[in-house]
Amino acid sequence: MPIHDLFLRMTRGQLSRRAFLRTAAAGAAGVSALGWMDAVRLQAEELRKKGLSCILLFMQGGPSQFETFDPKPGASTGGPTRAIDTAVPGVQIAEHWPEMAKQMKDVALIRSMNSREGNHPRAQFLLHTGYVPSGSVKYPSFGAHVASELGSPDFDLPHFVSISGGGGGGMPPAGSGFLGMQYAPFVVQNPTRLPLNTELPRGVDEKVLKRRLGLLDDLEKDFAEAGARPKVEDHRALYGTASQMVLSPRLKAFDVAQEKDALRERYGKNNFGQACLLARRLVETGVTFVEVLHGNWDTHQDNFERTKALSAPVDRGFAALVGDLKERGLLEKTLVVWMGEFGRTPNINGRTGRDHYPRAFSVALAGCGIKGGAVIGATTKDGRNIAERPVGVPDLFCTLCKALKINPRKETLSNAIGGRPIKIVDGGQAVKELFA
Amino acid sequence: MYRTAFLLAGLCLAWLVAAPAGADEAKKRYPKAPDANVPIIPAAWKDAPKSPATPAEIDRLLEQHLKADKLTASPRVTDEQFVRRVYLDLTGKVPTAAQSEAFVKDSDPQKRARLIDALLASEAFSRHLAKHWRDVMLSRATSSLVFIRFPRQSALEQWLFEQFQAKKSWGEISRDLLTAEGGLKLTEPTKNGQVGFLMAHAQADAAVERASDTARVFLGIQIQCAQCHDHPSDIWKRQQFHELTAFFGKLAERPVFAEPQGQGQQRRIEGFRLAARPFGEYRMPDRDDPKKTYAVQPRFLTGDAPPPARTDLDRRKALAKFVTAPDNYWFSAAFANRVWGDLTGQGFYQPVDNMGPLQEATYPDVLFRLAASFRATDYDIRGLYRLVMNTEAYQRQSRVGDSPGDHLRCTARYPTRMSADELWDAVASALGPFPQGPGRGRPGPGGGGPFRRQFGLAFQFRQLFDFDPSIKPDEVEGSVPQALMLMNNQQLNARMKATGDTPLARVLKDHPQDDKAIEQVYLRTLGRKPTPREMRRCREHVKQVGKRAEAFEDILWALVNSTEFQTKR
Repeated sequence: MPIHDLFLRMTRGQLSRRAFLRTAAAGAAGVSALGWMDAVRLQAEELRKKGLSCILLFMQGGPSQFETFDPKPGASTGGPTRAIDTAVPGVQIAEHWPEMAKQMKDVALIRSMNSREGNHPRAQFLLHTGYVPSGSVKYPSFGAHVASELGSPDFDLPHFVSISGGGGGGMPPAGSGFLGMQYAPFVVQNPTRLPLNTELPRGVDEKVLKRRLGLLDDLEKDFAEAGARPKVEDHRALYGTASQMVLSPRLKAFDVAQEKDALRERYGKNNFGQACLLARRLVETGVTFVEVLHGNWDTHQDNFERTKALSAPVDRGFAALVGDLKERGLLEKTLVVWMGEFGRTPNINGRTGRDHYPRAFSVALAGCGIKGGAVIGATTKDGRNIAERPVGVPDLFCTLCKALKINPRKETLSNAIGGRPIKIVDGGQAVKELFA
Repeated sequence: MYRTAFLLAGLCLAWLVAAPAGADEAKKRYPKAPDANVPIIPAAWKDAPKSPATPAEIDRLLEQHLKADKLTASPRVTDEQFVRRVYLDLTGKVPTAAQSEAFVKDSDPQKRARLIDALLASEAFSRHLAKHWRDVMLSRATSSLVFIRFPRQSALEQWLFEQFQAKKSWGEISRDLLTAEGGLKLTEPTKNGQVGFLMAHAQADAAVERASDTARVFLGIQIQCAQCHDHPSDIWKRQQFHELTAFFGKLAERPVFAEPQGQGQQRRIEGFRLAARPFGEYRMPDRDDPKKTYAVQPRFLTGDAPPPARTDLDRRKALAKFVTAPDNYWFSAAFANRVWGDLTGQGFYQPVDNMGPLQEATYPDVLFRLAASFRATDYDIRGLYRLVMNTEAYQRQSRVGDSPGDHLRCTARYPTRMSADELWDAVASALGPFPQGPGRGRPGPGGGGPFRRQFGLAFQFRQLFDFDPSIKPDEVEGSVPQALMLMNNQQLNARMKATGDTPLARVLKDHPQDDKAIEQVYLRTLGRKPTPREMRRCREHVKQVGKRAEAFEDILWALVNSTEFQTKR
């Protein structure tokens, strides 16, 4: 009885009831799991009080580091892209990022990112989860882990929101995997509109909705008993999340039209800019992890013109976001990450394009104690190789965990046969130079 | 593009690039190392029975297994459950209250077999099957070129419908899809769907993707895992993958231009067509240095080479012949496995398109007999459906195992989610008709016409509830936007009202007695009568709320939002 009771009081929901019962039935494994979960629960309560959150700006397709944060003017591989000075003496970025140049004192760069995945879906998955895709384990998106670690269980909006920031950016490359539907990304297709169907229909108010949900619960009993219980339970959990959101006074956080026009201008009146503004509103309200997807940076042809066009809204939106967060005193509690799944080749191909290049690429970070103005690692003069301080994907993820005060080695029971525990990050070391 | 290709890649273990821990994990999960001595075609296939199987034969084979494994089969479904299940399985629609009641009342002992025959002969079956196979083939489409993507879905569905109506065999249909010619046009979205399968992919990686989908759809084999290195868990070698790809090495696409509107006007693209590449062979990249490439000649998975063929079409004809050859076990087994999976919720191989010499299967001998039967009837599709649906195995009650991913080993039907089309039909049947409003949103390229209605509620709904029919049923998950749609959508809720010209208003008027009205609401939505407990609860609800109309609106809402409403059980 005590075990069952303690479990039900664990509001984290990391472990589904079914999975727990499976473990408990394994006998000895169940007993030791109890002690472990006890410790986890205590740690969780402390974390929740910290109120940290994360905004990920993900450039789908692989943004060229030469045309963003690691230009090589003068080198044969640099193309026509010029470099400009930034607010940080000695640090230059590509000419299409003037707003970010002004904001540089708050932004850190890692120029020595590298991975072995040059295939879009695999690389996007890797840069979202820290793992390569597997047939047996449903690895969760980092966003789902963060939502699970830092999200308050009383919070009535989705903990993890994924916004389509235009330019062809689309569906999140990874979901909540074995962490379950509770931490699944809530997809916002258009940041300038309220999510569809969140307003109660005419003639239905909160009282009626709650009455209906109660009736629904009761009428599902026979179907559940006829052999569909797990499906009914999942369905109920889903409706719980959806109705909570609908009835939440915080739902208006999704409405960017509530912001002053001047501020909306500052972010840029395009889908990406408004998505960044929406992200700020959401984390302010208590959403733990917001990702904004922007694409399509896969410039195999016409790299220079296309990257210039792609950079304009992102430069503006990213800079506005960092500036706005800082002005509101939120930057210390909000980690902002800018990255893509890989970089692009130093060689310019026959169609004036650059191809995939995971060997060396750039990531930008701000907030949550990250040292603004720091530049970690460097590439060689021609940008072909890493010259110093290589940073792998696990290292990056450990760094993000450090900023968010999450333990990267924390294990969760996965969906793999036997409920094998999976760490949030496997291997890697945080880049200490990014922290004071 | 990312989503569909991601699904392909997600099945490929990162053997070569994984850290040592990853390689160990692979060895643990696939203890049988790929063995070159395992035959591609099971040796017994040559001597497989040449006669169609009977339902009793299949049941006998299964019974032996259940006895040996000490498993108990679930009881037979009631007539009420049967009629809903069969209508959904064969027509994709829930039966009307009248259809359901008529079947239950019928006293003919052969009524189940007769209903199956009647529905198999209906146009609705052809239409339903066409939508299903359209989704099977296009779920992994990688080409998002608007000129292809817009007409592709409807054209392929229309072509498949015509083939199923004409009672073409699966062999003929498969060969036609592989040897298709011509193209798709935005302005003619239902024409020449025969190219739809090949046009799922275009341009850069088209040959590779077409080869992968040919293996997946027609043979149930996930050969794309062998694109970069030998398949980690089956016998396919990298060389074989690229040799299969070479069959598509001379196939390309060209834009189709509309007539210029006036002098000096730029010609508009109105579609894309398949075209042959006169020169050059498919070149496969070197494993370690992708810049080096080697020309590859086409060779089928069994090692057979086609006769020297210079044209693209000859080559594809040879491929079609290999794929659909009677001695190709996987062609017959893939279709049989998928049909069994569609009708019972779980295939012998799971996922249904992940088969092969070293993949694990439940009761492979039963699949073998089904495949032999399918071949013996010259791949008669209706014959196979008739065979499976008349078994006792098909007619068992549904349940989920202790863990949702558990295989029920044919002891019961596994409840599955309805497809987006099926669910929309269920909504339309319970709440429709919906008043036709002007479609919102700009029409796509090509102007109005078929595109205007595309952006309305039906389109939105289908987009939201769409999922890949080949993934395991326990992996189909709901999402918050789906729940929000059914809970709160203004148009749907307007049709749930008890006042005005709505189905509920009519029910309440025609049935002043609450019990009868409750029954009708259940029949219209779930295709069955309420259980005694459900009836009691609904009566209670009417009393509690006090106002009849409002109480019934709640009941209708609850049923439309229930798990069962979305489930094929």
